[in-house]
Amino acid sequence: MKIAYYPGCATHGLSKDVDIATKKVAEVLGLELVEVPDWNCCGGGFLDEYDEVAHVALNLRNLSQVEKLGLNKMATPCSVCLHSHRLATYKYKEDKEIKKKVDKRLEKTSIKFDGKVSAEHIVWVLIRDVGIETIKKNVKKPLNGLKVGTYYGCQMLRPEQIMGFEQAYNPHSLADLVAATGATPVIFPTMTSCCGFPLMGSNPKAGLKLAYNVLNGAKEAGADIIVHPCSLCHLQLDSLQIKIQSEFNVKWTMPAIYVTQLLGLAFGFSPEELGIGKLAMEVLRVKGVI
Amino acid sequence: MQEQEVIFKVKRFNPEKGFWWQEYKLKVDRFTQFTEALRRIKSEQDPTLSYRASCHMAVCGSCGMKINGEPRLACKTLVLDVVKKYNSNIVTIEPMDYFRPIKDLIVDWDEFYDRMFKVKPRLYPSKEVLEGKAEHRLKPEDQKELWKFAQCIWCGLCVSACPSVRIDPEFLGPAAHAKGYRFLADPRDTITEERMKILIDSSWRCTYCYQCFNVCPRDIEPVTAIKKTRSFTKLYKEKSEVAKRGEKHTEAIFESILKTGKIAEAAVYLKTYGILQSLIDLIYMSKTGKLKYALVQERYVQNIDEIKKIMGGESK
Repeated sequence: MKIAYYPGCATHGLSKDVDIATKKVAEVLGLELVEVPDWNCCGGGFLDEYDEVAHVALNLRNLSQVEKLGLNKMATPCSVCLHSHRLATYKYKEDKEIKKKVDKRLEKTSIKFDGKVSAEHIVWVLIRDVGIETIKKNVKKPLNGLKVGTYYGCQMLRPEQIMGFEQAYNPHSLADLVAATGATPVIFPTMTSCCGFPLMGSNPKAGLKLAYNVLNGAKEAGADIIVHPCSLCHLQLDSLQIKIQSEFNVKWTMPAIYVTQLLGLAFGFSPEELGIGKLAMEVLRVKGVI
Repeated sequence: MQEQEVIFKVKRFNPEKGFWWQEYKLKVDRFTQFTEALRRIKSEQDPTLSYRASCHMAVCGSCGMKINGEPRLACKTLVLDVVKKYNSNIVTIEPMDYFRPIKDLIVDWDEFYDRMFKVKPRLYPSKEVLEGKAEHRLKPEDQKELWKFAQCIWCGLCVSACPSVRIDPEFLGPAAHAKGYRFLADPRDTITEERMKILIDSSWRCTYCYQCFNVCPRDIEPVTAIKKTRSFTKLYKEKSEVAKRGEKHTEAIFESILKTGKIAEAAVYLKTYGILQSLIDLIYMSKTGKLKYALVQERYVQNIDEIKKIMGGESK
């Protein structure tokens, strides 16, 4: 199966490990990821507050590049990129005023969007198009005994009417993927709460508190580790663990890895090959998974 | 009319006993809203059950509650729709989160009203208009901008679902921001400076989780009002630290995309936090083994002229 692939800036930057693991897992599953030619930033969830029209137009540029490839789905591993593209498409289709302004901006460019391409999350593609059974068949090293907190965050789920893949208050896509690896999915009260990343640019203290709430929620529910579906949650929940430790005066960590990193482990890749961070590696070692 | 038996598990409360769950069985048809189900339970089975409901048509904003965990207006939610969505004839009803419970499904709204009154939710017209010497004019395009945000029915569902109000007392919350923006952007209003003082710092305390967009029964999109309020920051002089930092961050993102077509993380970080904090965070990052990725140099967009055309529009 061939599908367009939009990594996004974080996935090609500080969350490069998300990119590495996603490509490895896709290859095993026979999913050909064609990177969107000359893609641009989706606006990172902030650009629309500065220039709403530019935000829509930039996202349409990526989708139009996919249309030129003759593909109809663009998968991304980043929930914010997903959200941004779907919100832009929604506004362009629903809001005549915005459409008029966007069309004017696109006039002098080669961009032409016919609305044939939809932005999809890689998790949706894995579940709906690849299928849990195919994933199970490729598990070489079941992760039995590992308790994995399933953290969905915000942007893959909400608003439900625009994201649409699963129920925002009752999601189970990540639990299905975790169960396929042989690990035990752990649900917890803050699994659809915000990780706080979008606050880090303006009110980092509050952002860290939200991150702590997520990690603490998983800890109290008995998880060993968290999986998540977003390159920006990755920056927040994995990279900031030590900072959270010192800020909230706690001894424990609750490492967060990207969902394809977990799948990759079950497919037999080493944690080094998947770019898994130091803290997660420690937990996996203690639990006898690696 | 075909009827189906549904089990309603209601989370009840009174100050003496605290919370407990109680079950009721009721036959409903495809037109039965949750308010109708509750009315029948109260009149036919249990007169002690307390809830608020008035108009039964999504106008008064009285019947906000959690149905199968979703913050919803009970009158705008059909019982059998929920049964179908969750594929179960057992449904749960709980009071809204965040607000202090009073009895059963009734919560204390004082805190919500305080938030709403903080943003001065009324028009402050000019002296001429007040003295009858002039009339208000509102252009259709201006009305269009305000219309969506003027539809709030003060039901409190968005505040009950908001994570930022829980951790940040300085944040006004989604409903107050929608209402605040509705007057901030109203050309007939005369207290713009004061409104910016009330709204701008708070707007940078939203975490963009889209809970409010998701739960609003009137499709108001409070988060969109917050985004639009942030764009007023450049017009306001006495910015708080939170607003200043946030503005720098967004400007850095805009500039980075304009220059490279992508977000150069290191540059955005440096501009937002300054050199000192950036260095401190680098140390944290090295401890988690992530530092190597900070050095990855991503290829810029080749067709950067196209990006410049897209971003060089009128609303910048």
